[in-house]
Amino acid sequence: MAKKQSSITFPVIDIRGISKSIGDAAILKDISLSIQKGRIAGIIGKSGAGKTTLLRCLNSLDDPSSGKIHLFGEEVTALSGEKRQGIQKRIGTIFQQFNLLSRRTVLENIALPLEIRGLSSGEYIQRARDILDLVGLSHKENAYPRELSGGQCQRVAIARAIVADVSLLLCDEFTSALDPETTLEILELLSDLRQKLGLTIVLITHDMNVVREICDDVFVLDQGELVEAGTIDAILLRPQHETTKTLIGSLFQQDLPHRYQAGLKQEPFPSSHVLLKLIFADTVAREPLIASLVEKFHVPINIIAGHLDHIREIAFGRLIVSLPYEGKNLKNVQEFLLARQVLVELLGYVHA
Amino acid sequence: MVVVASSLGFICGIPLALLLWVSSPHGLKPCALVYRVLSFLINTGRSIPYIIFMVLLIPVTRFLVGSSIGTLGATVPLSLAAILLYTRFAEESFSGISKGMIEAGKVMAATRMQIIRKIVLSEAMPQLMAHLTTLTVMLVGFSAMAGAVGGGGLGDLAIRYGYQRYDIVFLSIIVVILVVLVQSVQMTGDWLVQRLRK
Repeated sequence: MAKKQSSITFPVIDIRGISKSIGDAAILKDISLSIQKGRIAGIIGKSGAGKTTLLRCLNSLDDPSSGKIHLFGEEVTALSGEKRQGIQKRIGTIFQQFNLLSRRTVLENIALPLEIRGLSSGEYIQRARDILDLVGLSHKENAYPRELSGGQCQRVAIARAIVADVSLLLCDEFTSALDPETTLEILELLSDLRQKLGLTIVLITHDMNVVREICDDVFVLDQGELVEAGTIDAILLRPQHETTKTLIGSLFQQDLPHRYQAGLKQEPFPSSHVLLKLIFADTVAREPLIASLVEKFHVPINIIAGHLDHIREIAFGRLIVSLPYEGKNLKNVQEFLLARQVLVELLGYVHA
Repeated sequence: MVVVASSLGFICGIPLALLLWVSSPHGLKPCALVYRVLSFLINTGRSIPYIIFMVLLIPVTRFLVGSSIGTLGATVPLSLAAILLYTRFAEESFSGISKGMIEAGKVMAATRMQIIRKIVLSEAMPQLMAHLTTLTVMLVGFSAMAGAVGGGGLGDLAIRYGYQRYDIVFLSIIVVILVVLVQSVQMTGDWLVQRLRK
């Protein structure tokens, strides 16, 4: 296929109306999405949402029951044999279980895709070494997988996935087998590789923390359907769908301290305090919000729990506050906050 | 006798096992016909107790090597049994390889042969060697039975000169030799497996 002009960019991945059923069970329902070159996309959802199945349709381990998949501008669902293999060779995959060959050294494992393409050892050794260096494990060239830590194994797996002129990297829940620190290291490596090699990366995960770290775009799957899609900022700051909100909820310590949870009522009662959840972002977070509230309305606001965080340059946070319940006060506070684009959620009423 | 039989078992067993594994419902190229026929043949062969197996094969043995007694005569059923046994062992080893490894090969766009050579056979090698050790030890046992039907060998010596002549000392010596033989096979095998494991 003739190369398109560099001024026209087409999506690396373009999925249209993909459905997949196994027997009576519908695993994927009419999913359409596209991912541009050089982006890091996160496909997130709870277990069983269909994310792994979707990934397997992308790297040809599975076929969709209906719909079209375009990769690098070609419709792979219509291809077979050598042509399909040609596209497949441009895609690398890393798995949760590393899947390194136990009887090969690190270097030999990395060189495997090149061996498969028929390169001679003279040709592939140097390339394998270069990639090994890129993932920071040159000193482990002759080690065997059983001598490596989980994080090192995953690095080798990544090196193996990208060694052979690959422009798309698919990652299947790869963080589940690693501890949080190592996960972060690997995510940084991926981000680094995207920068250095211009890779497009797709991450499948159920963990919003992973997505938040390096993803540009997010696609939320729930029971086989694409329920929400957007840039990471949009998703984190203004989630629409219930599932998205639940997944984001896991990012913060949403739980009220137990003694509040226990006494939480949905109706106001005499001398109760009202609990509010404030969700705020960016510019607003820089204002001394609470201080202004106290000053303006003379309302004793108590901060119960809170979390402030950053996604790259954007600050966002959630606060749970309580204030003495009094119809007028509450209204003032709510209006004040809404005017500053802070979302206010009324959680309930508790004893002082 | 045993060496020939186990070698044949190994050499013929592996390709047969691969065929069985590849054609299985979860294999690289499922083919119900091949799988069912092969499975049936192998399982049937294995279910027959060896001593009966030997006797049943007498016509075949005569056809192949001209006689059903003596070392050559004993080698035929022994080799056949070895092939049947080893095929099942090897097929188990192949099935035991994690699906993920094979998928890793698939996503690298490896051909079926490449997956078999570079991933399956390579990963299974330590197990295959361990199974070969087990096979050889079993064959030593079977070859003793060959002695009961005129096959010669240590079993024959033990039964004819030791048991039938009530010569306990002789019998004990043969047993000791057999035990030493089996132990050395086992130890060599274990050592080889360790070396292969990396």
